[in-house]
Amino acid sequence: MTTDELDPLIHVPTRLKIVATLAALPDGDTLSFTRLQDMIGLTPGNLIIHLRKLEEADYISSEKTRNGTVSVTTVALTGHGRKALGAYTQALRDLLGGL
Amino acid sequence: MNHTPDTTTAGNGGNFDPRQAAALLGQTTQQARRQLAPSPPWLLATRAVAVLAALGAIWLSVRGQHPYRGPTAADTPILIAFIVLNFAATVAVRGRALAGVRGTTRLRPAEITILVVSWAAVPVLMWALAANGVSFAWYPTTVLIIPGLAYAAIMAARVSWRECGTGLAVAATGAVGAFAGPAGAWAVAGVGLFLVLLGTAAAITWQQRRSVVRS
Repeated sequence: MTTDELDPLIHVPTRLKIVATLAALPDGDTLSFTRLQDMIGLTPGNLIIHLRKLEEADYISSEKTRNGTVSVTTVALTGHGRKALGAYTQALRDLLGGL
Repeated sequence: MNHTPDTTTAGNGGNFDPRQAAALLGQTTQQARRQLAPSPPWLLATRAVAVLAALGAIWLSVRGQHPYRGPTAADTPILIAFIVLNFAATVAVRGRALAGVRGTTRLRPAEITILVVSWAAVPVLMWALAANGVSFAWYPTTVLIIPGLAYAAIMAARVSWRECGTGLAVAATGAVGAFAGPAGAWAVAGVGLFLVLLGTAAAITWQQRRSVVRS
């Protein structure tokens, strides 16, 4: 097995951190953009770029809600994203077991 | 906070070694589990020691009473201080852990209502037991039975078996106390809750630390 078999969307440090952080929540739970940013330690612009890539692949979903004058963006790992992380983790296990 | 190299421009793993990936995955998962835990192990362990100290102090003051008269005036501030500090710490820690989180991690209004009603039902049950001459009606352990069962039922409905077990263990402590006598019930409550809280803290610690990549 080679590193080529690792999901290239997840096999990037920042995106791996995003997906792993969201996976720590129970299925269906959402995390606000600001809390995720705080936990991962990224600039908003940087985080948005990575979230967009993950959303395009349907690994995460995001929702923008308005609470009065404040708009809150929440993100969640989709079932597809959870499966992809599971497959990525298994691939890492196989790869490291073979090293 | 750990900062990982920005790979936005690269957009791919580049030189991201699988060993580094495994370490980062494990570290991030454990950090996230710790930060998002509404009941962190350190709080549960602190609560375990505090409940043992508070209820143990009351047991020491009542165990020599013949006949049993209940906690002395000096015990009341200990109990109230424990309840107030416990409540304040729980609200503060839970609020910080769940900031920005929406969904099943938070208790739903209906679940909160069930818990509040279960606590409100405690004096009613105790009064009803006393009216029927039941010996353990006013034991401190009797307080634990209904809220313990209510919590277990809520967690069973959520398919959260560890937390369901915690609720059942609390209710079981209440049931065991019925056989311990009025003074002994304080010791049973103290030791029982100490063990339940410490066991829960240990289970959560194990869940948070279990390896992600190494199966």
